[in-house]
Amino acid sequence: MTFASMNWTEENGLLLIPLSLGWLAIWLLMPADKQRSRFLGGLVGLAAVLTMQWLLLPQMGDLVRDVLFFLFAGAAVLSAALMITDRNPVYSALWFALVTLSVCGLFLLNSAPFLAASTIIVYAGAIIVTFLFVIMLAQQSGTSSDYDQRPFQPGMASFLAFALLGALLFTLQEWGGIDRLNTNTDAQPGQFIALPAGVAPNPLSQAHYDNKNEIGSLRVLGRSLFGDYLFMVELAGTVLLIATIGAIAIAPRRSQGTL
Amino acid sequence: MTATALESQLVVGATLFILGMIGFLTRRNLILIMLSAELMLHGVSVNLTAFSRYHGNPQGQVFTIFVLTIAACEAGLALSLILSLYQRRKSLDVFLWGKLGEDDLPVFTGTAAPVPTAHADPNIDLPHLTPAGRMPKTQSGTQAKT
Repeated sequence: MTFASMNWTEENGLLLIPLSLGWLAIWLLMPADKQRSRFLGGLVGLAAVLTMQWLLLPQMGDLVRDVLFFLFAGAAVLSAALMITDRNPVYSALWFALVTLSVCGLFLLNSAPFLAASTIIVYAGAIIVTFLFVIMLAQQSGTSSDYDQRPFQPGMASFLAFALLGALLFTLQEWGGIDRLNTNTDAQPGQFIALPAGVAPNPLSQAHYDNKNEIGSLRVLGRSLFGDYLFMVELAGTVLLIATIGAIAIAPRRSQGTL
Repeated sequence: MTATALESQLVVGATLFILGMIGFLTRRNLILIMLSAELMLHGVSVNLTAFSRYHGNPQGQVFTIFVLTIAACEAGLALSLILSLYQRRKSLDVFLWGKLGEDDLPVFTGTAAPVPTAHADPNIDLPHLTPAGRMPKTQSGTQAKT
């Protein structure tokens, strides 16, 4: 028992470094009662991201692709960390816009150009603008409020979250090995990314696209969307309609008093 | 696409999800809570597109489109809810909504409430509901009964 646990610690203990560093960074970056210097937290956060990248260094197959991936992924993670720790909610919304742009870059790397464009249109064009509108409507004084300065139990919440991240990373390591010891390049039967045996693939969506850049094209996407998932599209439209009606019903009237 | 590249994307998606979870749990601003939920949806979308490319079929991207739809619905509903909540307390602090009871109502102590009779006077105590829509006229001499 003890031998197994020691073996487990030796194999997986390296992952504890970026996890604990990330926890420390988020805890340091969170706004507190007394003005804490963001420099130290930023330094620890950079160390966490760098150790994580060092652990997750991909195979140098395509240099441009790897550089772009690290650029977008790093920008997404850093902007997300700054978004959840910023004192000013307006800045948080702008950091979230940056997260959205970085995630769209990851979509492009995953050969989903249509998805990237629609995400930019929906998020950056509609959602962020509406959120900013509401923030500016609600906080016209310009100074950040008291409740933005005092988060609710940041240490415990980030510890729980990083424990969950550790569980996910350990699961990934058990699966394939992010330490590149056990890389499997193809989906193998019995693993969770392979198709389960005995389930016949849908003939419409299982067309083999040899060129993987083709799967994000409008032709393939539209054929899958309006062929396999036609009922889902109708359901999504119904959900949109219901959400619109509900938003109109919930939203306060102007005659009831302005904001 | 090699497995390592897939794993890197999974790690990025998990990290985005975790950061959104921290924001959802700790921040007290109602709008930031909703933005953190959107951040969690971003993490899931990265996972879905990574698997879509790994398997070479568009199902993951189709699912991401549905995630986008639900995110848009959620943002609209959340903003209208936040606006109506802000109108009542003039603050975006989520701690103000920790207690859902009304302040002017006596606390329910557990004793059985008297059954109202059908033929009561017109000044009977109506249930003191939260005002939705038009603000009702306040009736003098009304006392809530629990």
